[in-house]
Amino acid sequence: MKHHLPLVAALAAALPTAAQNTCATAVPITAGVHTVPNVDGSQVPTPVCAPNGAGATAGEWYSYTPTGAYTVTINTAIGPVTDSRVHVYTGGCGALSCLAGDDDSGPNLSALVSFNVAAGTTYHIAFDNRWSASGFAFSLTEAPLVVPVFSFTPLTLPASSGSSLAAVDMNGDHLDDVVRVTDTQITIGHQQSGGGLVQTVFPTTQADNSPSWSLAAGDLDGNGQNDLLYAGGGATFMLANADATGYTEMSQPEWIFCQRSNYVDINNDGHLDAFICHDVEPNVYYLNDGQGNLTYYQGGLGDTYDGGNYGSIWVDYDNDHDVDLFIAKCRGGNGPANIDQLHRNNGDGTWTEVAALMNLADNQQSWSSAWGDYDNDGDMDVVQGASSFTNGGHKLMRNDGSTFTNVTSASGFDALTGMSIEWITHDFDNDGWLDVLGGGRLMRNNGDMTFSPHTVVPTNGPVGDLNNDGYLDIVNSGTVHLNALTGNNWLKVTLEGTVSNTNGIGARVEILTPTGTQIRDIRSGDGFRYMSTLNAHFGLGSENQVDQVTIYWPSGIVDIVSTPAVNGTVHVIEGLSTGLAATPPQPRLNTYPNPAADLLYLSAESPLRNATATILNASGQPVRRTMLHEPVLDIADIAPGVYVVQVALDGVLLQERFVKR
Amino acid sequence: MGMPSRLRVPPGLGAACVGTIVLAACAHEVLEPAPGPAAAPVVFDLADVPYPTLSTYRFFTGPLDRLEPNEGVLPFAPINTLFTDHALKSRYVWMPEGVQAHYAGDHVPLDFEEGAVLLKNIWYDNVAPDGERRIIETRMMFRRNGAWEFANYIWNPEQTEAHLDMGGGYLPVSWTDAEHGAMSTTYRIPSASECFTCHKVNTDPLPIGPLPRNLNADMVYADGTMNQLDRWVQEGYLAPGLPPGIAATPDWKDITLPLEDRVRGYLDMQCAHCHADQRHCDYRPLRLAYQDTHDPANLGVCVPPDDPIDPAMTYIVAAGDTARSMMHLRLGSTDAAVRMPLLGRTLVHREGLALIDQWINTLGPPCP
Repeated sequence: MKHHLPLVAALAAALPTAAQNTCATAVPITAGVHTVPNVDGSQVPTPVCAPNGAGATAGEWYSYTPTGAYTVTINTAIGPVTDSRVHVYTGGCGALSCLAGDDDSGPNLSALVSFNVAAGTTYHIAFDNRWSASGFAFSLTEAPLVVPVFSFTPLTLPASSGSSLAAVDMNGDHLDDVVRVTDTQITIGHQQSGGGLVQTVFPTTQADNSPSWSLAAGDLDGNGQNDLLYAGGGATFMLANADATGYTEMSQPEWIFCQRSNYVDINNDGHLDAFICHDVEPNVYYLNDGQGNLTYYQGGLGDTYDGGNYGSIWVDYDNDHDVDLFIAKCRGGNGPANIDQLHRNNGDGTWTEVAALMNLADNQQSWSSAWGDYDNDGDMDVVQGASSFTNGGHKLMRNDGSTFTNVTSASGFDALTGMSIEWITHDFDNDGWLDVLGGGRLMRNNGDMTFSPHTVVPTNGPVGDLNNDGYLDIVNSGTVHLNALTGNNWLKVTLEGTVSNTNGIGARVEILTPTGTQIRDIRSGDGFRYMSTLNAHFGLGSENQVDQVTIYWPSGIVDIVSTPAVNGTVHVIEGLSTGLAATPPQPRLNTYPNPAADLLYLSAESPLRNATATILNASGQPVRRTMLHEPVLDIADIAPGVYVVQVALDGVLLQERFVKR
Repeated sequence: MGMPSRLRVPPGLGAACVGTIVLAACAHEVLEPAPGPAAAPVVFDLADVPYPTLSTYRFFTGPLDRLEPNEGVLPFAPINTLFTDHALKSRYVWMPEGVQAHYAGDHVPLDFEEGAVLLKNIWYDNVAPDGERRIIETRMMFRRNGAWEFANYIWNPEQTEAHLDMGGGYLPVSWTDAEHGAMSTTYRIPSASECFTCHKVNTDPLPIGPLPRNLNADMVYADGTMNQLDRWVQEGYLAPGLPPGIAATPDWKDITLPLEDRVRGYLDMQCAHCHADQRHCDYRPLRLAYQDTHDPANLGVCVPPDDPIDPAMTYIVAAGDTARSMMHLRLGSTDAAVRMPLLGRTLVHREGLALIDQWINTLGPPCP
C-alpha cells in the first residue's frame, strides 16, 4: 500500500479547492475563520441574493447547520481583502432560495451581512467571482438572536430586459405587479391571486421615448386597464387594450427634457391627464378630453423659465380634498430654479404658488420629497430630502395648517449624512407610522416626529405588496425584496372610480381607528423615477379595529366603509356607499349659532373627534375641508351665503345647513 | 482712438485646423479661395438681429453651403472640442469695426464687446444615400446689451439656406468616416433652453470655447501657421498686451502628452461647462475645469457618487477599477438618464472612453 500514499496525499491537498465547487459538494463549516481558495467552482450561485446583479461565472460553496438560533454574521474583511460577494440560501441544493446576501457593505468592497438562523436548519453560503476570482478569508460568527427592525428577503425575478420601474396593478385585479420596460417591450410579472409572479413579455412598437427619467401608470383612456407613461426626451403613452394583453404606442411630438411624470386629473373633469416636470423649461402637461384626445400645454404649473423641476408630488396639503402640486427643485449656480414650489389648487381651475407663504420655498437641492402624515394628526407633512448638501440638508417640515414648521432639529434627519434623489414614504413595518426611504437609509418613524436610521439591503425602487401579505416590498432591478416582517396588523384599500378616474388617483383615503386617524393620497408618480402601488396601505400596529374608512374622491363623492376586517383589503367602488349619505342621518349634526359669523360649533350624539368636516357651497362644491381636533370651525373668511357642513362619523355622513352672515 | 487697424484675411482663405502635432485628427478642411470679385461685407445690425435667414448676414460668401468665410470672419479652433455624435464643426468669430475682446484670465472666456459674434457650423460628411455633406445647423452667439444671446439657424435639405429656429429638432443621419465606418444617429438640434443649459454661468449665457488657454495653440491659416491668440490680436479682435505664459489646455488627442494631462483636457471640454462652480451641476462634487483638476478629488478619484444610480459604482472614479467607476459607466452609457454629458450626444465616444479607462486603470492604490 505504500505506493499509494503519495497519490492520497496529493488528492488530500487538492480536495479543499475542488470540494466546494458546487452546492452538492459544499464544505460544512461552523463558526470561525475559513479560507476560500480562488473562486473557480463550476456552480455559479443562483439565484443572486446580493446586490449588483448577474455577471459571475464561478462560485465556492459552504454549508452551515447551526446548533442554536443565532444572528449570524459573515465578514470577508479578514486578512487580505478582495472584492468578494456572498449569497446565503435556504431550501437545499435542489431548491435554493435567497435568505440574505451582500456585496460591498464591508471595507474595501468586502462583504458583510447578518441574518437569523434556526437550530438544525442547513444553510448554504456561496461566494462568486462577480468582481474578483481571488481567494480570501471570511469569518462566520454566531451571536444571540436579534430580531431586526426591518428585514427583506430577496426574490430573483425571471430574466428579462429593462429596469424595474413599477410595482403596480396592470391587469385590474388590484394586486400589484412588477413592470420592466425597454423601448420595445413591457415585461410584467403578474401577481397571482394564489401567490407568485407569472411573467409575460408584451412586445411593443419601438417607443419614440424611453422611460429613462421616470415612469407613471394610470388608466388614461378609461378602459379599466392601466396605461404607462414613458418620460424621456418627450412623452410616450403605452395604452393597454381591454384585457391588458397588448399595448399600443401613442407618442407625442413635443420635445421635453422630462423628469418626474404623473398621471393626475389636473382639471378634475374625471379624465386622467399627464403632468411632466421639465428640467430646463416651464413644466408641461397633456389634458385629456376623455375622447382619446390629448392637448399639450406648457405653463401655469411651475413657470421658472429655465426649469429646475425634478420631483412633482401631487398632494392635498390643505385638506380641501383637491390635489395640490409640490415641486422639488434643483439647479446649480445662483438663480430661482432650485427653489421648491407649492401650487395650491384653488378648486376653480386656477392655481396659486404658495411655497413661500407656507414656508416651503427652499433652495436646497432636491429631486423628490416624501409627503405623508408623519404625526398622524390628519394633514400631510413633508421630508424635503436633499440630493446634495450644497444648499442645505434634509428638512422635516410639519404641517401646522397655516404654515409648515421646520422640526428637523433632533428629528434624525439632521444627523442623516446620506443623500439621494429618491425620497418616498410608506409604513414598512406596519406599526401605524410612516417611515421614510431616502438618504441611503430606511428612517423608522418612532411615532414622535423622530426617526431612526436603519441600513437595509434594498435601495430605493418601486414599492408595492408583491405577495399580498400586507407588508410592502421594494423592487430593485431584477430582485424583489420581500418584506420579511410579520406580526403587525394592516389594512389595504383599493379603489375603483366610476365618476372619478379608474384608480381614484388624487383621492384622499382616511381611516379612523380607536387609536387615531391615518390618511393617504392616491398618487401616480411618487419619488423621482419610479411608479409605486396605487393601493392605499395602512399599518395598524397592534390595533385590531378600524372603525371607518372614508374615501374623498376627486369627483367630490364621499364613500364610507364601516368596520372593515383588518389584515385584509377593502375594495371601494365610487358611489357605492353614497346611499348611506342619502338617507336622513341618524343622529343629527347640530350647528350653532345659525346664522354664524366667525365660528361654527358642531355637535352630535357621538364625540366629533378625528373626523373631517367639509363645507359645501350652494352648488354642492366643497369650499373648505378641515380635520376636527375640536368641534368648531373657523368660517370667518367664507363669503356670506347658505352652506352645508358634512362630517363623516361612525359610518354615516352627517350634514346640516347653516348660514354664514 | 487707440484701436489697431484691422488686418483682414482675404476672402476664402479661412482655414480651421488646430495644432501641428496631430494634423491627422483635424476635422476641418482648408477652403479654396473664392473666385470672382470681393464679396459685400458682413451685415449685422444689433437693432435687427437675429435675422430670419443665415444668408442675410453674409458671414459666408459664394454658395452658402461652401461656408466660405467673408472678410473679417476669422476661423478659430479650441484645442479640445465637445464630442457630439461625431458631427464635424467649424467655428468663426466676427466683430464690428472697432470692437474687440479683452483678456480676463487664462481660464475664463475672453471679455467680448458689444456686437461680437461667435459662429459654429455643424455637419456630417459622406452622408447616405449620396455620400454628400449635410450641414445641419449654424449656431450663433452674439453680444448685445452687455449679455450673450443665442440664435440657431437650421439648414434646409437643399443646403441653400438656414432659417432661424430656436425650437430644436431631430435629424436622422447615416454616414461613414474613415475611423468608424458606417454610423448613424438621430442628431439632436438643441432648443434655446438646451443651448442655455450648457452655455451659462449662474443664469447668464456664456460661450464655452474661447478661453485663452483653449486658443493658445497654433492654427493653420491660409497664409501660414500662427498662434490663435496672436492672430486674434493681429486681426484686431483681441486687445494687445497679453500677459506672458498663458496656459494651454492639454490636447487630449496628443499621445505625446502625459496621460493625466490628456484626461484633464478631455474632461475639461466634455464636462466642465456643468461641473464647475456656478454651473448647471455645481451641486455635485466634481470640478472638471482644467485649472481645478490638479486635485484628484475634483476628478472624482475615490469620491463616492451623490447619486447611486448603480450601487455597484462605489466611486465616481474607483482607482484601478473601471467596473466600479461611475465615470466609466456614465461615459459608456447611451441611456438618457445615465449618460454623460447629458446633452449633446446619443452615441458613446469610444476613443474618449478608452482614454478614461486607460487612466482609471493606472490609478492606485484601491480606494478605501
